Amino acid sequence: MNIRKLVWLEFKQHKSQLVSGLLAIVLGITVIVGIRSISVVSEKAVAVNLDNLGANILVLPQASNVDNYYAADIDAPTIPEEYVDRIVASNLQGVDNLSPKLTRRTKIGNETVVLTGILPKNEITSKPMWQQSGLLGNDLKASCAPTNTANQSSGYADEKLQRKVIDSLGGDECLVGYAAASKLKVSEGGNLDILGEKFKVARVLNETGTVDDDRIFIHLHKAQELFKIPAQVSAIEIMGCCNAISDGLLGKLRNVLPDTRITTIGQIVSTQIETNKMMNKVSMIFLIIIIFVGGISIGNFMWANINERRKEIGMLRMVGFNKTVIYRMMLSKALVLGIIGGIVGYILGTLAGMWLGPELAGLPVKPIASLIGVSLAISIGVSLLGAMIPSYLAGRIEPFSNMQEG
Amino acid sequence: MILKVNNLNKQYQKAGRGVHALDNISFEVKKGDFVTITGPSGSGKTTLLLSLAGLIKTTSGEIYFNDFRIDNANDRHLSDFRKNHVGFVMQSFALIPYLTALENVMLPLAISKFSKKDKIKKANALMELVCLEDRKKHYPRELSAGQQQRVAIARALINEPDLILADEPTGNLDPSLSSEILNLLKKINREKGMTIVMVTHSPQAAEYGTMKIHLIDGKIETLHHNPKIEMSQLNLVN
Repeated sequence: MNIRKLVWLEFKQHKSQLVSGLLAIVLGITVIVGIRSISVVSEKAVAVNLDNLGANILVLPQASNVDNYYAADIDAPTIPEEYVDRIVASNLQGVDNLSPKLTRRTKIGNETVVLTGILPKNEITSKPMWQQSGLLGNDLKASCAPTNTANQSSGYADEKLQRKVIDSLGGDECLVGYAAASKLKVSEGGNLDILGEKFKVARVLNETGTVDDDRIFIHLHKAQELFKIPAQVSAIEIMGCCNAISDGLLGKLRNVLPDTRITTIGQIVSTQIETNKMMNKVSMIFLIIIIFVGGISIGNFMWANINERRKEIGMLRMVGFNKTVIYRMMLSKALVLGIIGGIVGYILGTLAGMWLGPELAGLPVKPIASLIGVSLAISIGVSLLGAMIPSYLAGRIEPFSNMQEG
Repeated sequence: MILKVNNLNKQYQKAGRGVHALDNISFEVKKGDFVTITGPSGSGKTTLLLSLAGLIKTTSGEIYFNDFRIDNANDRHLSDFRKNHVGFVMQSFALIPYLTALENVMLPLAISKFSKKDKIKKANALMELVCLEDRKKHYPRELSAGQQQRVAIARALINEPDLILADEPTGNLDPSLSSEILNLLKKINREKGMTIVMVTHSPQAAEYGTMKIHLIDGKIETLHHNPKIEMSQLNLVN
């Protein structure tokens, strides 16, 4: 016989009371785990979506028109190319990739095309400052970017919207959009005369259904030379981590480059972001509810239990259990309640998430192991909180409640 | 002296009036005494017993257990005192319904440092002493009133206390069971040398005492010493 066994035997004695006492806490944890399981998957889906869109933040001159995100850089005023270095030097978390551009409409033969100067990936990675910043990995992979597997399994890959980074581009090479190639009747390996200079067509890009189909890409510095706009760009595209965008990356970028206009294509996934925000708010509301209702429920259960056992507790006090031992017994009981509530709530919440995830969010939901810790922490915390006052009062029960006055 | 009570007073307010539950009580108890406290209802018997265990605060006066002053000790010291030196036997038995007889006997050891094996060994020996070795795994509801009180006595003995405080231990028992319990207490008193202080309504039960205190209105009306009492002299009726 020891304190642990005594608490355990008492538990076994009051199984039905235990169930009713735990009901509120289990329900609360179930809802929190269920919502969180779905929202975590949903947030990942947003990340996948944003990543598939490629660059999702655009840094433009103040005077730019942003009616069309994909064409905002065309014939826009310019900003210094040095702004790219400023962004990198600011070491902002969530900036995963950068692509400065200079875009102008021009004529090739009788056809009007959009000529865009870009900095290829191999030049970006070769800049010492960019390597030191730690923002850009060697392979320029987004830190929150999805894996190919995730990409495929979630079904968010949208080839038409993808704007992949160009690996390398020589000074005399160009990449031609699908529609432009068709208009100009050129193919890979062919030559194009642009503003008096000869360029070799390194690749004809796949059809995207966007303004990119009409673009011809050349090296940024070559474009600056041709347009006579040295060291200037019309836009800097940034691939930002979606969580960082939610956490105010745009504001931070505005602080770094106050004289620019910074916009995002977040609206494309805004519904999903809003849903996630709403689910997180609902989780918070349930957390508050669980703290009150669960705490009161546990407190009420403990109080009823203590009242029912006044004589028993009085007897324990009489045979030498001091107040501290009685507190310990009661709080041990609350601890066990919290553990049971946390585990049962986690299991039910996970099952609910797995069942409702595909229905509500159209996403498959898998158990999230880390939520066990969160469930236990909330449940144990609430349980101990609710049991504090009853435990204190239990310790104050007088030992002579077993004796007759006379 | 194992117990020494000096000018003990306990007053409380009832309906706006001060009531003397204990009025200037003084007496001394030697180790091995069997003290009986009698008196009509409201005479202060149980109040005196509670005071001796440090379970209620008195208004004035002193109570000593050996050199330990009970009346002004703090909760921790009093808990240690009760755990190490006092065994309680109550009229209502106060057994825990969801524990077996053996577990009830072991209960005070839950806060001791004995090993599980030693706890069981001690409890088994006491179950034998109270002749309930075949009822170890029975729950209180499966035992008769006399058997329940014997379990309570075994529980009171488990810590090998110096002092047993009994509050109407035969109050819920019929005459034959009463004599059984009183004989058991007397046996413990004689064989183990434990000091017993027993509150009782019954004059016959009071005859077991080697020291008999009779209270009326919180005062000691009579105090008799009867050290040579023999078992055979007792005519036990509750």
